Amino acid sequence: MSERSFAGEIEKLRLGEGETFSGEGILAITKALLQSGVSYVGGYQGAPISHLLDVMVQAKDLMGELGVHVEANTNEASAAAMLGASISYRVRGAVTWKSIVGTNVASDALSNLASAGVIGGALVIVGEDYGEGASVIQERTLAFALKSSMWMIDPRPNLASMVDLVEKGFELSEASSTPVMMGLRIRACHLMGSFETKKNRMGTLNTKDKAPEPAGFNYARLSHPPATFVQEAKKIDQRLPAAVQYIVDHGLNETFPGPVDTVGIIMQGGLYNTVLRRLTALGLADDFGNSQIPLHILNVTHPLVPKEITEFCQSKMAVLVIEEGSPEFIEQQINTILRRADIQTKVFGKDVLANAGEYTAEIVMSGLVDFFGESEPVGIMLEDVRDRAARLLNSSQSASAHLAAPPPPRPPGFCTGCPERPVFSAIKLLKQELGDFHIATDIGCHALATFEPFSMGNSILGYGMSLASAAAVASFQEKRPIAIMGDGGFWHNGMQTGVLSQLFNHGDAVLIIMQNGYASATGQQYLPPATTPDGVGGGGTQAGEIEAALRALHVKWIRTVRTYGVNTMRDTLREAMTTDKPGLKVIIADGECMLARQRRLRRVNAERLNTGGRVVAPRFGIDAEICTGDHACIRLSGCPSLTVIDNPDPLKRDPVASIDSSCVGCGLCGENAHVASLCPSFYGVERVQNAKLVERLTDRVRRRVIGWFADADQPA
Amino acid sequence: MSKESVRPVTILIAALGGEGGGVLMNWIVEAAHLARFPVQATSVPGVAQRTGATTYYIELMPGKADGNIPVMSLSPVQGEIDVMVSTELAEASRALAGGFISSDRTALIASTHRHYMNLEKMAMGEGRLSGDEVRAALEKSARSSVLFDAAELALENGVHVNAIMLGTIARTGLLGIDREHFIGAIGRSGKSVDANLKGFELGLTISDESELDLVDKKSVFLSGPDAVEDAVRRLEKYQNAKYAQKYRDRLAPFQAGDPVVAEAVARHLAIRMTYDDIIRVAQAKIGAGRLDRIRGEAGAQPGEPLYVTDFFKPGVQEVADLLPPRLARACLNWAAKKDRMHRVSWPLYIRTTTVFGFLKIWALAKLRWWRPRSFRWTFEQEEIDLWLAAIRQMGTLDVGAAREIAELSGLIKGYGATHARGMHSYNKILTALIDPVLTGEAPPRPRLAAQILEARLAALADPDGAALDACLEAD
Repeated sequence: MSERSFAGEIEKLRLGEGETFSGEGILAITKALLQSGVSYVGGYQGAPISHLLDVMVQAKDLMGELGVHVEANTNEASAAAMLGASISYRVRGAVTWKSIVGTNVASDALSNLASAGVIGGALVIVGEDYGEGASVIQERTLAFALKSSMWMIDPRPNLASMVDLVEKGFELSEASSTPVMMGLRIRACHLMGSFETKKNRMGTLNTKDKAPEPAGFNYARLSHPPATFVQEAKKIDQRLPAAVQYIVDHGLNETFPGPVDTVGIIMQGGLYNTVLRRLTALGLADDFGNSQIPLHILNVTHPLVPKEITEFCQSKMAVLVIEEGSPEFIEQQINTILRRADIQTKVFGKDVLANAGEYTAEIVMSGLVDFFGESEPVGIMLEDVRDRAARLLNSSQSASAHLAAPPPPRPPGFCTGCPERPVFSAIKLLKQELGDFHIATDIGCHALATFEPFSMGNSILGYGMSLASAAAVASFQEKRPIAIMGDGGFWHNGMQTGVLSQLFNHGDAVLIIMQNGYASATGQQYLPPATTPDGVGGGGTQAGEIEAALRALHVKWIRTVRTYGVNTMRDTLREAMTTDKPGLKVIIADGECMLARQRRLRRVNAERLNTGGRVVAPRFGIDAEICTGDHACIRLSGCPSLTVIDNPDPLKRDPVASIDSSCVGCGLCGENAHVASLCPSFYGVERVQNAKLVERLTDRVRRRVIGWFADADQPA
Repeated sequence: MSKESVRPVTILIAALGGEGGGVLMNWIVEAAHLARFPVQATSVPGVAQRTGATTYYIELMPGKADGNIPVMSLSPVQGEIDVMVSTELAEASRALAGGFISSDRTALIASTHRHYMNLEKMAMGEGRLSGDEVRAALEKSARSSVLFDAAELALENGVHVNAIMLGTIARTGLLGIDREHFIGAIGRSGKSVDANLKGFELGLTISDESELDLVDKKSVFLSGPDAVEDAVRRLEKYQNAKYAQKYRDRLAPFQAGDPVVAEAVARHLAIRMTYDDIIRVAQAKIGAGRLDRIRGEAGAQPGEPLYVTDFFKPGVQEVADLLPPRLARACLNWAAKKDRMHRVSWPLYIRTTTVFGFLKIWALAKLRWWRPRSFRWTFEQEEIDLWLAAIRQMGTLDVGAAREIAELSGLIKGYGATHARGMHSYNKILTALIDPVLTGEAPPRPRLAAQILEARLAALADPDGAALDACLEAD
C-alpha cells in the first residue's frame, strides 16, 4: 500500500462518454491510457509520475474488468523491456518512469525496441524531472528520442491536450511502427484541471481475451544482425516519413496566426502557457490565447515536419525558437530545414534565451523583449513592450529590497522519527573517532544526509550505484570507504552493480543498506521480493530477505543492526572499518519507515482505544533548565520535532533545545544523549491510556510518595 | 485585446512539506469548481514533501469565462501574485526574496510562527533569524498584509493551520468566490470536516484590522537591584546564604564602575557561580512542579499513569568533579594515562516516576553540602577569581576590552565535552589576546575589544574550533 490512497481517483477512471474528469494531470494520463485500449501498463516509481503507477496498482478491480495487465516493474529497464510485447503483437502498452534517470536505466531495452519497431502502439510516459522541484541531474529526454529514433511528444500543458495526445500517440506509434515517448514536465504532472472523458476501451488482446497462438517466428523483428542493418535504414526511409505524414494529417502540431506576421515564435508544446502568458503581460496577447504574434506549437518535438516549418517561416523576417536545454537540437534542425529550402528567415533562439535551466516566465520574457528588439517587427510598440517588462521587474525587485538578506535554504530532511537518521548520527560520531572517511552515497531518502546537520557524502552516481562508485576509491585510500544504499536501490540494481561486482573483484568496502521496507522517497511503494500474495507490487518485504540474498551471494561479513541503537551501530561500523577480515562488509540498518509505521499505529491504537485496550504513547522531552544551549543534540539529529525555544532562564541568552508535540518517541534523542555524552536534560515519557486498575493505583501511590520528597524550592 | 480587469487571479501558497498546503490548494480549486470559475493549480512537491520548503500555485478566472477557456500559467511569476499565502514566517520572507510579493498588487496572508531551519537550530548559540526584521520587511512590501500566529490559533482551537488560512483568504474577497463554496469544498473533501469548518470560521474573523500584537516575551536581565536580588536567590537555592553573600562581595567592586561591565559581570557571575554539575541536575530533576509539567506536555489526563525515564551518563570527568581535589586529580591522571577519559562512563536510565528511582536522584540532590569540598568547586572558584581579576585590570586600561572579557564567560557552559570545549576556547582567547596585554608583554591595541568579540563569535561558529584558530591566526 503506497503512502497515498487513490480510492477516489479510481472512481474517476471509470467515467464514461462525455463526462467531466477533474483532477491531477498524471491521473488524467492514466484515464487516457484506459480510453486508448491498452492491454498492459507498467513502470517504476519516481517523482513526478509515481501516482500513475500507484493508482494503477491500487485499481486492481477496474484493471481486471478491462483486462489490463499491470506490472510494478523492479526497475525501468524491466519496464522498457516489457514494451517488447508490442513488437510482435497488435497490443497497446504503456510504461512510465522518472526521466532522465529512468530513461538512462531503460536505454538498452529502448534501443533494441526502437530498432525492431512495433506493430502495437507503444508509449513511454516520462516525467521530465527538469527545473524547479527536480531531484535529479538536469538533462532532457529529447536526446534519447533523437539517437534511438523514437518520437517525442511534448504536449501543451492542459489536460485536454495531454489526454488527446496520449490517444494520438498510440496511433502515431502504430502508423509509423515506432515507440513513442511523451514527456511531461513536473508541473504538468501535478496540474489540477479538467477534461471531457470518453468510454474506456479494452485492448484487442487482454487478460480475458487471450491469443490462442504466439506470433510466428520472424527474424526481421529481432534486433539482431543482420536484421539491425535493415532496421536502421527503415527508421529513416519508412518510419520517419510515415510519422511525419501522420502528424500533418492529424494536426498534432498547431499554428496560431496573428496580425504581426513578419515575425513568429516556434516553441515546444510544454512551454506554450508560459510563452502565451508572457505575451499577455507584454500586451501582445489576451488571456484566451489570441496572440498578435503568429505561433507554431510543436506538440511533437521529434520528428519535426519540414513542410510545417517552412510554411510558417516563409514570409517572416525572423522567428524565435523557444526550446529548453542544450544543445539546441530543435533550433539546429530548423536552421537546416530553412537552409535546405533556401528560406532566409533569421532564426533566433539561444542567442536571446538562457543556455541552461527551466524556461521560467522571467527568462522567456527577457528573451521575447530581446527578440523584438533585434527583429523590430512592424506593429509592435517596442517602447511599450520594454516598459511593461521593466515595470514587472521593478515591482518585484523594489519589494524584495526591503529584506536585508534572503532566508537560508530549507531543503527537505528526514521525517520526525526516521529510522535512517540514527545511522548518520552513528557515522558522525565515528568520524569524531577515526577522522573523516569517504562516503559514497546514493538515491533515496538517505541522500537527505547530504544536507545539514550531517552534510555527508562524496559522490552520488545514480540509484543503487553507491557501492560500485566506491570501488576504485578503495584502492587508493588508507581508510575503507563507506557506501550507503537504500533497500529500494539494492533491489533496483545495487545487488548486481555493487555487491556482485565487489565480490567478484574481492573488494574490501563497507556497505550500509537501509532496510526500511518501502521505496520511501517516492511514496512508500512495496519492494520486491514479494513474499505475500497481495496482488501486484507485492505485499511488503519481509525482514531478512536482503540478508538471505546476500548470504546466497556468499557475502561473509553481514550484521543486521536495529538503527535506533546508535551505540551498537557505531560499534558495528567501527568494526567494519577496522577489522582485518578481508572482503565486503555489509551492515543492514534495520528500521521500518516511520511514516508508514505511524500510519499503521494510528489505526491500531485508535481501534484499541475504542475497545478499551491499553495504549502507550511514547515521546521525549527536555528539561530547559538543564539544557546547555549548545545544541550539540541538534547537530547530531536534525529531527523536525527537536527544535529551539527562548531560554526561560532570564540570565541566559542562548535558546534552549525543546521537543515539540510532533515527537513520536523513536528514542534517538536519548540514545544520542548517551552515546555522545550530551547533557542529561533528555527524558523519555510513556503516557498510558486505558490502564488497568492495578497500574493506575500503583501510579497514584508512587506520585503521592514522590510528592513528599519533591523539592518545592526548585522551579518546574 | 486584453483588458487588465479580466485577468486571472493568481494565488501562491508557500508551505513546508507535510503541513497541508496541498489540501489548502485542493480546497480552493474545489471552491472555484463549485463557483464554476475556470481554475488551474500546480505544485512541485517532489521530495520537498519531507519537511522542505514547497509552493503551490493557483490561477482562477473570477466570473464565468463565457465558454472561453483562458490560458493559465503553470508557474508563479515575479510581480504577478495577487494573493500570497504563507504558513510560516521565514517562508513568507522567501517569497519576498523571490519577487512574489509586490506593493502594487499582492495581498499577503502569513502566519508569523516560526518553524526553524536546521541551519538556525544547529548553531552553538543563538542562530535564529530575527522575526521582527522579517515582519517589518513584509509589512512594507505588500499592498496589504495580514500577519498573525495561525499555529498558535490552531493549537488553541484544535484545528489545522490550512483551514484557518482558507478562512482568511475567503475574507479578503479577492478570489470572488462566495463563502458557501469554500464551505462546500471543505465538506466535499470528506476528511475532518467539522474541525476544518471550525478553522475556516476562525480564519474568517481575521483581517488586517485584527488586534494581532506580537509581544516580545523574552525577559531581559538588567543589573538593577532586583536583578541582583534574583541572582542572590538563585545562589541560595543552589548552595546557601553564605555563598550568596560571596556573590555580593565579588560583584561589589564592579558596581561603582562602568555600568555595562557591571551588568555583564552580574549576569555571568551568577551563571558561573551556579555552574552545572551532577548535583544541580539532580536538584532540577526533583523539582516539585516537574512531573506536572511533563504530564501537561504529554497531554496525560489526571488518572492516567505516566512514566518518565531520565537519561544520565556521568563520565570520568563528572565523577572526578565531585571527588576531593587530591583524589580527583589522581583519578583524572589515571584516566588520561590509560586513555580512559572518554571511554569510561556510566550510562544510567533512571525511572524517576518510581519511588526508588526518584529517591536515587533525590539523594544526589541532597549532596549539595559536599559541593564546597569537591574538586570542581575549587577549580571554578579559582577560575572565577582569575576572570574577575582580568576584568578589573583591563578596566584600567581599556573599558571596551573589559566588557568583552566579561562577555567572554558566555563561552563556558554545560557539562562534559561541551564544558571542556567552551573552557578550551575561552582559555585560547585569553592566552592569545588578553594575557599579553595584562602582563605588559604587548602594548594595548586599539582594536582589542573588537578582536575579543570576533574571537568569541568565531568560537561559536563550529564545534571543531577551526574558525577560532583561523580568527586568532589572522590577528
